[in-house]
Amino acid sequence: MSPELAGQIELLLQVVIAGILIGGLYSVIGLGMSLIMGVMRIINLAHGELMMVAMYITYFAFTMYAVDPYVSLLVVLPAMFALGALLQRFLINRVMYTDSILPQNQVLLTVGIGMVLSNLALVAFSANYRSVPVSYAGATLYWDIALGGQTIALSFNVPLLVAFGIAVVLTAGLFLLLMRTDVGRMIRATAQDRDAATLMGVNTKRVTVITFGLGSALVGAAGTLLVPIYYLFPTIGAPFTAKAFIITVLGGLGNTAGAILGGLVLGLAESLGSAYISLGYKDAFGFVMFVLVLIFLPKGLLGKSKV
Amino acid sequence: MTMARRTRRGWMETQARRGARLVPAALGLALVMAAATPALAQFKVGIPLPLTGAEAKFGEMEKQAYELAVEEINAKGGVKDQKLVLDIQDSGGRPEVATSIVEKFLTGNKYPIVVGEYTSQCSYAVAAVAERYQRPYLVVTGSADKITQQGWKYVYRLNPPASLYNLGVWSFFKAVAKPTSLAILYENTDFGTSTSQAMKLWAEANGITVKAYEGYQAGAVDFKPTLQRIKSLRPDVVYMVSYLMDASLLMRQSKELDLNPRLFVGGAAGFTLPEFLQNAAEASEYVMSGTLWTPQVKYPGARAFFDRFRQKFGKEPDYHAAEAYAAAYVLADTLKRAKSWSPEDIRDALAKTDMMTVFGPVKFISWDKFTNQNRLDTLVLQVIRKQFETVWPKEGASAPYVFPVPRWRDRK
Repeated sequence: MSPELAGQIELLLQVVIAGILIGGLYSVIGLGMSLIMGVMRIINLAHGELMMVAMYITYFAFTMYAVDPYVSLLVVLPAMFALGALLQRFLINRVMYTDSILPQNQVLLTVGIGMVLSNLALVAFSANYRSVPVSYAGATLYWDIALGGQTIALSFNVPLLVAFGIAVVLTAGLFLLLMRTDVGRMIRATAQDRDAATLMGVNTKRVTVITFGLGSALVGAAGTLLVPIYYLFPTIGAPFTAKAFIITVLGGLGNTAGAILGGLVLGLAESLGSAYISLGYKDAFGFVMFVLVLIFLPKGLLGKSKV
Repeated sequence: MTMARRTRRGWMETQARRGARLVPAALGLALVMAAATPALAQFKVGIPLPLTGAEAKFGEMEKQAYELAVEEINAKGGVKDQKLVLDIQDSGGRPEVATSIVEKFLTGNKYPIVVGEYTSQCSYAVAAVAERYQRPYLVVTGSADKITQQGWKYVYRLNPPASLYNLGVWSFFKAVAKPTSLAILYENTDFGTSTSQAMKLWAEANGITVKAYEGYQAGAVDFKPTLQRIKSLRPDVVYMVSYLMDASLLMRQSKELDLNPRLFVGGAAGFTLPEFLQNAAEASEYVMSGTLWTPQVKYPGARAFFDRFRQKFGKEPDYHAAEAYAAAYVLADTLKRAKSWSPEDIRDALAKTDMMTVFGPVKFISWDKFTNQNRLDTLVLQVIRKQFETVWPKEGASAPYVFPVPRWRDRK
């Protein structure tokens, strides 16, 4: 085999690896939004801003108390669950059952929540870019494959691998919760038919509070996992809200299994696109796919909404 | 209960109304006092700078350098017996904010001259405003070529244009590295585009193949797909133009991917800040970068400035600090020579500037498409044992260069 061919194979494999690893993180981000969409039929446009809040919790846990980002998940998950539940209980639920001029005013409310969060962060932490300098930020595993007399050297960034692993664990945990527990059954029942669930004695208001809490905790976890890899600033949320939205649509609005697939597809599309077409259009690939899916597969990659 | 509450509210309203009546009175008094005080012997300079946002580290360093210089100038009696006073405002690195700050400087504060800004986009926007109001503007860091190519009569630039930032790097390439191929990766901002375009043209004119020429949007999380493609192209040299956060991510990810050109070269900006050494850590080792200034330059006062800055602020200044420091001295010199402090006279004095600063000789000349542009040699530095060392030109180098650089996996 010629060195050029080996180089091309290495490029393809490495690009696919990069896409899948970052896609795992995207899945967790999309999963939270999809869950909320499934149960409440609203797009949470404060999703990225919630992630930003989690990133700042992680950052301050590290700088003030020297808590490792992965350990801080123990704080971030409950804190973000509480924040999400409070937002739902005291803000969104108040609008949910009110007749108003605009039918989707809960969505507008989430836009407002997002703006308040990012602007509070701007006031409190200034617009500066911060990063958490963990010692393992650049840790890498190498895997050399001998192929036809050439070596193909693949590399795996350790924080991304760990993030991917934790993302898988969180996803599995969420499915166990949804499938095997009473709370999960209540959530699924509410998603399938809110009125029927209410008639069967499910406290659907409480279910919405729990769901929003779960969705916030998931995106918060994604934020924490992103901290060792990336950097943070108050307005980091918006592009990630857009990504979560694309993933949710790709997966079929409100379909949680679809969100996982959607995240991986988005990660791969960005990665392949920036390697083979141009890095400058990286964000465009997601949106192009978004439009194509809406036109040709209006129900998403996996079809109808299913929590 | 209700009664009590109502009474209290009534009392508060009265207080509020009384307060409202007091405010104009106090304002009036303040105005009278301001008018009554004899003209304070001070000259105010308006400087917009990014003190928050992605470029905040650069803005902060320049602010400190201006303050250091002005402190020294005032200690020696100021300018024509007047104290220089800085009015530094935060633009957040956003051109629209910089524009409104400068409009306020020129129309509200009536400052006769504007100095500073950091990014090319902001400097370009500010230059347009200054030209419209016919007030002189001294560009200190913004380096996109177009800023001094508009034939503007009030815009003077202290730093060299971006296309000449690479002079030192080119001389190193010709004399030592002799690369046959190059991969160029740049942030698609004014500065990034100007610098890399110049690099591409130069490479092609000198028979060097440009194997990749990629612009990217600031804020990408993962550069690995692109870096991997560059790896598969096996270029001799990888040349990158980025600000701070991206510069660190690019080097860290190059190390992860085991991307091994014979040399990594940065195009100034993010690659010369002390924070780059911290954020990129061991991935910054042996990275070269073009730069406009290092403490080893032979201009009078350069070393003293470096020491004073480090002593006062506890960190090492890079070329950005030297630019700002020199700009303050150019301003003081101009004001001393100006017939009066009207915008026109200040502009005429600025045009005749011919002085030596810690940043090098300053003289505004016009050539090719450039007008009122200072011309300077540039240098090359390299990170060696976690320190910036000047490695080129050879005379004045603080350490011998390392070339070709060792492969990532062979490093200890």
